[in-house]
Amino acid sequence: MAMKRAAACAVKAAAVAAPSSLLFSRNLHTSPGSKKIVGVFYKANEYAEKNPNFVGSVERALGIREWLESKGHQYIVTDDKEGPDCELEKHIPDLHVLITTPFHPAYVTRDRIKRAKNLELLLTAGIGSDHVDLKAAVEAKLTVAEITGSNTVSVAEDELMRVLILVRNFVPGYQQVINGEWNVSAISYRSYDLEGKTVGTVGAGRIGRLLLQRLKPFNCNLLYHDRARIDPELESQLGATFEEDLDKMLPKCDVVVINMPLTEKTRGLFNKEKIAKLKKGVLIVNNARGAIMDTQALVDACSSGHVAGYSGDVWNPQPAPKDHPWRYMPNHAMTPHISGTTIDGQLRYAAGVKDMLDRYFKGEDFPQQNYIVKEGVLAPQYR
Amino acid sequence: MAMKRVAASVLRGLQNSAASRGLAGSSLMTRKLHASSGSKKIVGVFYKANEYASENPNFVGCVERALGIREWLESQGHKYIVTDDKDGPDCELEKHIEDLHVLITTPFHPAYVTEERIKRAKNLELLLTAGIGSDHIDLKAAAERGLTVAEVTGSNTVSVAEDELMRILILVRNFLPGYHQVISGEWNVAAIAYRAYDLEGKTIGTVGAGRIGRLLLQRLKPFNCNLLYHDRIRMSPDLESQTGATFEEDLDKMLPKCDIVVINTPLTEKTRGMFNKEKIAKMKKGVLIVNNARGAIMDTQAVVDACSSGHIAGYGGDVWYPQPAPKDHPWRYMPNHAMTPHISGTTIDAQLRYAAGVKDMLDRYFKGENFPQEYYIVKEGELASQYR
Repeated sequence: MAMKRAAACAVKAAAVAAPSSLLFSRNLHTSPGSKKIVGVFYKANEYAEKNPNFVGSVERALGIREWLESKGHQYIVTDDKEGPDCELEKHIPDLHVLITTPFHPAYVTRDRIKRAKNLELLLTAGIGSDHVDLKAAVEAKLTVAEITGSNTVSVAEDELMRVLILVRNFVPGYQQVINGEWNVSAISYRSYDLEGKTVGTVGAGRIGRLLLQRLKPFNCNLLYHDRARIDPELESQLGATFEEDLDKMLPKCDVVVINMPLTEKTRGLFNKEKIAKLKKGVLIVNNARGAIMDTQALVDACSSGHVAGYSGDVWNPQPAPKDHPWRYMPNHAMTPHISGTTIDGQLRYAAGVKDMLDRYFKGEDFPQQNYIVKEGVLAPQYR
Repeated sequence: MAMKRVAASVLRGLQNSAASRGLAGSSLMTRKLHASSGSKKIVGVFYKANEYASENPNFVGCVERALGIREWLESQGHKYIVTDDKDGPDCELEKHIEDLHVLITTPFHPAYVTEERIKRAKNLELLLTAGIGSDHIDLKAAAERGLTVAEVTGSNTVSVAEDELMRILILVRNFLPGYHQVISGEWNVAAIAYRAYDLEGKTIGTVGAGRIGRLLLQRLKPFNCNLLYHDRIRMSPDLESQTGATFEEDLDKMLPKCDIVVINTPLTEKTRGMFNKEKIAKMKKGVLIVNNARGAIMDTQAVVDACSSGHIAGYGGDVWYPQPAPKDHPWRYMPNHAMTPHISGTTIDAQLRYAAGVKDMLDRYFKGENFPQEYYIVKEGELASQYR
């Protein structure tokens, strides 16, 4: 495919040099010797062979099997993660490292952590480690790390796509075409340009900023809310206005984009009351985490029209069951969890996992921004 | 809806600027060109809104709202007939061909103004396109008859550029198979991810870098792609460096370089059927194509064949030939498409702009004044440069 060659450049670029190791960090990471590494990813089945760069699947196992086995480690990979009799459960008692991924998340509960007597390291192939009970990981003195930055561009692009899909009313038009219809009015009566609209991002970390950069040429009114203000130079580059008070920002927005991690503070944040603060007819994009929204409150708001459109790729739980109500509510533009697992994203996070395993085996530190739990301390965005 | 208030401010802005232009000097010579004095018969062909007409006060582009100019026209003593019935010898439009002075058409539901219709339209003086793109008119015949043809240049260029970027992302990120899974109760990440890519780092070529092409390039800039453009005319060095796009003098050399090709040319004698089997074969295997320009620039069957073989990995656009597209148009059913009916240039925001532009041109026509120069497609027997 046309893209395959372009994506291959990403592999070469992502190979990162390791800084010098520190003796004291050896304790942190690993006792020497052969390790048992388990990876939980999504299965590709017949799609596994369609693309040599499709490294994120069970079948390709991040492309690190040969490398791991040549070093004498054991590498078990599965997609079977749910329930007491699943494949993952069989390996919990003796695995040293567990690699998980948000696109098919293994829920690493307090109970599983308790039973994982050899567990030292939890790696997220991607970004967002809320599927791990981080408090329990802290108490068990585990290290939790993710591939920070590996798919931030991927997610930001995807958010902009969804903003346009909702504001321009794309999906009803597509459905007309495949149903043999033609009714321009039924689309255009509520189809708008993005230009001139007010777009607010709830959270302006890495992804939020990349989104604001991509929104800039659209000439919108850009607002952002975050615990921390962006430095003045970057703020002026982005052309975005800081909104200290979330509840004051929400009613101003034609479009709201969620760009926060799922934490104790953000779980269920967008409930009935919060949604009511949004303009009638607001459009919402959420590629962050499904559980940030109250599932039923969203269904109700889409049904009443208070939310005129909702789009995202994240659900609670994942995989989303066949009867998840978001599948059937009106005016959605949902997909399964895909935005951060493009081929380009996969190549970057696979390379990042390999790099962190390498450092782990050598007793070296990871890049600082990759830590979610280190030496009993939670990364600030999760506190 | 949240957007309605924003769109209304667009309208006020346009009304102000139109009023301030009323002082453009008229000259005796242009009276002949534009209007003999007296009451005129103006016919508009737009799409019908039916139950959607009352859903949005700014929905001016439909038959029912008639660009919002009925009262204004009738208060000046003119006759204004509006219909969506445009095809066939017995349609509503045909009844008025013989005595109408002005015909307003729109690309989203185009009245095909053939040589034959032009011949029978004895009173016809002016053809106005509510939107951009006047290829649904036989421009040669219009020029020979000494008619004026004009469109509302710039009225929906931003609209179309935004829509093109949306479709690029929909194709490269493989959105639609994901959407289908959701509404079908499925979950299979691999079936989407195996051919989902970031736009970053890809090579995008725009065929045509006029108003819309440039607006697209501006919006593509922060995505950090390799941007190429082909056009008859090169951009100024300043603009080239601003957009970060590289000029490709030879289209056939540009095409094989592109992961994504966007069509941004008008439909003219030169571009009709331009993307045929041979041209498509010059593109990379797995290319993605976005066409919000005109359906007839593509060879209909060649696109179907290429999508079916996988040579084209994805085709997205809102333009067809003909329009409305019949129920059995093959593009509806070919694999890997992201098509919609013709909507990109008829967002509420765009409708307000082109309605205001039509009103402004009618006003000048009644007063015997010139239109803004860039609005003319046919003037005094001459075709605008992009159509020659």
